[in-house]
Amino acid sequence: MDAQRILLPYNFSSNDQKTLAFVIRTFGSLENIDVTLFHAFTPLSEIEASDHQSATAKLKRRLSYLTQELTEREMALQEVRQYLIGKGFHRDNVRYIFKSRKGEISAAIIEQTKEEDYDIIVLNHRPGKVTRFFTGSVFAKVVTALRDITVCIVS
Amino acid sequence: MQTEDRINIDIFKVVTRAIAESNNLEIMAKHLAQLLVGALEIKGVTIFATNVETKELEDLGSFGLSIRYMNKGPIHINRSIKSVEKHKAVVVKDVKNSDLLQYSADAIQEGIGAIVSVPIAFGGRVIGVLRLYHHDIWNISDRDLDSLFVLAEIIGLAMMYARMNNAIHDVKDIVGDVHDAWLE
Repeated sequence: MDAQRILLPYNFSSNDQKTLAFVIRTFGSLENIDVTLFHAFTPLSEIEASDHQSATAKLKRRLSYLTQELTEREMALQEVRQYLIGKGFHRDNVRYIFKSRKGEISAAIIEQTKEEDYDIIVLNHRPGKVTRFFTGSVFAKVVTALRDITVCIVS
Repeated sequence: MQTEDRINIDIFKVVTRAIAESNNLEIMAKHLAQLLVGALEIKGVTIFATNVETKELEDLGSFGLSIRYMNKGPIHINRSIKSVEKHKAVVVKDVKNSDLLQYSADAIQEGIGAIVSVPIAFGGRVIGVLRLYHHDIWNISDRDLDSLFVLAEIIGLAMMYARMNNAIHDVKDIVGDVHDAWLE
């Protein structure tokens, strides 16, 4: 039997911790489960500065030092992978994807799902969030865009 | 500690361009946070939206703060920095000597020395908060605070534009789902 491939979008929020707990509880004891942790980050802002002495040129140089946050995020994602391994998932069956995105997170998740043909995707949804009015609902966009896949919603 | 002006017209142009050029509020908020951290040489920035039902602030975009600090717990409008509802900025110059913070111990552990909180208003209502975190005690200049107020107003416009844009797309999706057979 082929392994069930699970995509677990992860953004380091407390809701994502609930999703992680669900995956461990539901799939941790099963054989043939592949889990992919997925984090798509926003790249640093691009600045055009023609004059090297200008304030914007200085800002551009300072921003290049700020990539440290991305390194910390990637390390945190590696720790989540180790946590899953510690909870019983086989080392070879847990991986992570840490990639840059230019558009919405929902588009990155949909693209990743289609690219690698997952069987299950695990999302979280917190009702009543006001940020959804401003950024749109990731949950709604992903669920309505995908076909032939099991979508688990942790609320 | 710093009192000189950090936000000049060049920086303001870069920051406002980041707002104008983005059609995605989440990315805009993240870029804005990055640019302010770089321009002001501070620790971090978060842009919050106000949830009037739960009375909490929700993170729209952030940069420079640890995962642990971001997950410290719900930020209550009435218990966090308090004058959010009064349309006034609050400058907590020294976190260690302030009783205004909801999570002061977490802020100190995070290495935050000072916080500036600027309300984001639209149509006379506070719809969010722009919050800036400095490593040290911070005497922000009056001019920079004025610039942040102007910036917060622009963010408010961008937030409301994004909200309307999302609503229009939702309507378009719903109408698009109506099969032609229903309209014959």
